[in-house]
Amino acid sequence: MKVPQRLKQSREFGIFLILLAVCIIVTVAAPSFFSIENLFDILKGNVVLAIMAIGMLPVILTGGIDVSVGSMVAAITIIVGNFLMKGSDNILLAFVVGCLSGAFLGLINGLLIAKLKIPPIVATLGMMSIISGISLYYTNGNWITGLPKNFIDFGRTTLGSFYQQGDEMIGLPVQLVFLVFVAVLSWFILRHTLVGRGIYAIGGNRVSAERVGYSVDNITVFLYAYEGFVVGLAGAVHTSIMRQVDPNAFNGFEMQVISAVVLGGASTLGGYGSVIGTLIGVALFAVINNGLILMHIPTFWQKIVVGIVLIASISFDVTQKKYWESHNTKVDIEEA
Amino acid sequence: MNPNAFLQIHHVSKTFPGVKALQDIDLEVQRGEIHALIGENGAGKSTLIKILSGVYQPDPGAEIVIEGKKCNQLTPLVALKKGIVVIYQDFSLFPNESVAENIAITTDIEKGTKFLSWKKIRSSAKSALERLGVELDLDAPLGSLSVAKQQLVAIARALTFDAKLLIMDEPTSALSKSEVEQLFAIMRNLRDSGISILFVSHKLDELMAISDRFTVLRDGKYLGTFNGDELDNDILISLMVGRKIEYTIYPKRDCRGAGKVLELKDFNKSGNFKDVSFHLYKGEILGITGLVGAGRTEVLKAIYGINPQDSGQLYLEGNKITVRSAEDAVRHGIAYMPENRLSEGLVLRKTMAENISVTVVDKLATRSGLVDRNRQSELVTKWIQELNIKPPYPDMLASKLSGGNQQRVVLAKWLASNPKVLLVDEPTNGIDVGAKTEIHKLLRDLAESGISIILVSSELPEILAIADRILVMRRGRIVGEFNGENATQEEIMNKAILGGKQPVKA
Repeated sequence: MKVPQRLKQSREFGIFLILLAVCIIVTVAAPSFFSIENLFDILKGNVVLAIMAIGMLPVILTGGIDVSVGSMVAAITIIVGNFLMKGSDNILLAFVVGCLSGAFLGLINGLLIAKLKIPPIVATLGMMSIISGISLYYTNGNWITGLPKNFIDFGRTTLGSFYQQGDEMIGLPVQLVFLVFVAVLSWFILRHTLVGRGIYAIGGNRVSAERVGYSVDNITVFLYAYEGFVVGLAGAVHTSIMRQVDPNAFNGFEMQVISAVVLGGASTLGGYGSVIGTLIGVALFAVINNGLILMHIPTFWQKIVVGIVLIASISFDVTQKKYWESHNTKVDIEEA
Repeated sequence: MNPNAFLQIHHVSKTFPGVKALQDIDLEVQRGEIHALIGENGAGKSTLIKILSGVYQPDPGAEIVIEGKKCNQLTPLVALKKGIVVIYQDFSLFPNESVAENIAITTDIEKGTKFLSWKKIRSSAKSALERLGVELDLDAPLGSLSVAKQQLVAIARALTFDAKLLIMDEPTSALSKSEVEQLFAIMRNLRDSGISILFVSHKLDELMAISDRFTVLRDGKYLGTFNGDELDNDILISLMVGRKIEYTIYPKRDCRGAGKVLELKDFNKSGNFKDVSFHLYKGEILGITGLVGAGRTEVLKAIYGINPQDSGQLYLEGNKITVRSAEDAVRHGIAYMPENRLSEGLVLRKTMAENISVTVVDKLATRSGLVDRNRQSELVTKWIQELNIKPPYPDMLASKLSGGNQQRVVLAKWLASNPKVLLVDEPTNGIDVGAKTEIHKLLRDLAESGISIILVSSELPEILAIADRILVMRRGRIVGEFNGENATQEEIMNKAILGGKQPVKA
């Protein structure tokens, strides 16, 4: 197999090789990993994570971070659930409501960060606390069950038929469509629009980005609002998968989202990362988790392993940057 | 009006609080010429560039004429639209983006294109590179390119703006000899195609090789514009230096008898300095001068441990010491007053008292580990009086003090720790003459009291006023040593610019 030089050098390619290696190890240790049933389970179980990771990607690309996404997606599921119970059972409307509420919350994040110049970690930490407080006040921690039948049926829809389970043919979960939609949209924005290139420019060199005329503030507001929109979609998708709403389902989920993006090769210092990489990162995250379960390794190991991989990849970025900075030529020394 | 002129400016002045950076400058840049802008550090070159690119607005009364049309207000956007493009020393490029994108995306930003065509970006980048006569991989990430190639990318980007006047700030400072040759060939090509280039550099031999005309600034004033054939190195140097010394000249002392306090032996750091060795004697002020980028600050930071050398030994009072961090330096009695006192020397949001006592907090601690407030205020009051800091309120926020007084607080902070060696980097940058003279007196008093001082300064009159001995650095090396008593500005400048190439005229 001939691999082009540039592809070989890309971070994505390296991570893809790691993913392959992990897949092979897991398959050897637990052959049931490589069954179509299990792979479909992994897919369905991580589609929400994947959508949210893609939403997080532009934020990380600018060197920002958003820790409010866990509480945000939880709030969206509550909003969508209530809308379905008390508003309308129209599926399309439910998704629109989810996306718009998400975009609204993200917009607040963006305005706090771009206009009030609050550091992203502080602004989103505050939002996380506020959103989860309001959610708790509103739900009292109670689940929402008994969603309309048409919505539940929609959540069960599959595409094509791949294997038989009982007397049912199983196909790809319908939720995959939303992931494909978000991935293609994000890829298009990041690659083919000025705003998208501005996102990379801000992460690469913020001062230069301002100097060459990118409106850094507007781009920042946009990308947090867009992230909110994607999280909103993820909330609706999650509700369609679970067919009920658990207000506490997403406690600590922001860490998984951020981890997946970073595992996918995005630099926390900004500037580097891609949609493809993020998808590979989510897959790596999902395969490690699934593999450890199949190998009957206690679940706390998942957290430890993911943590180690995360710290290793971030320290690589940071030490590399430090190295380049300290070896920067400051003086043009005359050779005698 | 000269129809051949692209840019004409008259009576351009710029005043900053307390400092007149530019006074009544005239400048005319012809179409298709390479015009050098020269002057010592602090002569006002950068300020003038910032005015031409619209970053600073000149004082009222200035006249700026571009292509025969008077320009009332030059903002960065207007300057760009008129074809004035500055290539800064840092290039303002994006290491994470491809060569093509770095070159061509700015046109899309300017036009506000929402959806990009990579085909167009690539073809416009390609044609810009072709105009330069350079071949680069359009898809390579910029960060993987050498500095010289990144510079070509920056020039290519300027061409996509339809540049008519390229302003290049020290474009050769990080290039090798053959890269400089290539750059000059490209600059000549651009000139022949009708583009004007305003070129700032300290390297006189390079300037002589490429420039059609020279404009000399000294001390913020316009000295004149000369044709290349009217000038040689000697004339240029004598034009650049020769600032009036308005400072008190202190009698110099020969401290060599007093014993060595600090000795550097063969200090090397790649990309910073090479073969740097010297002694510092007790109670001496050793001035280190040279052009910006000669490696002076890097040496000071190496001694202080925040930019450790690759190799070389450091001796303090005859004993070999290892300094790899500021903490090591402080422990050995080495104190450092950085060039940018605002960003590096002071905690602006803390009070004067907290700033002064920060280096000695451990000595002020009571047995329970808390700071003894009485002893702290005693110490602070002592230094406020000693250094005559105004207003003398220990609880005042450091940010509220004037520049000169902030400088004194930084000094007090270091003196409180009883240093043996004080490293001072450009102590009077950006403060008024009165405050400067006071800082000079202070440094002299400290030296008399037995502290050894290394003073890095670009301002020759300052060095000549207070330094007992003077070292000159050029391109990372020490190229000359002078006795403070009878050195002249010409001699020093000659060394700083030409190094050992020419005999010093005594």
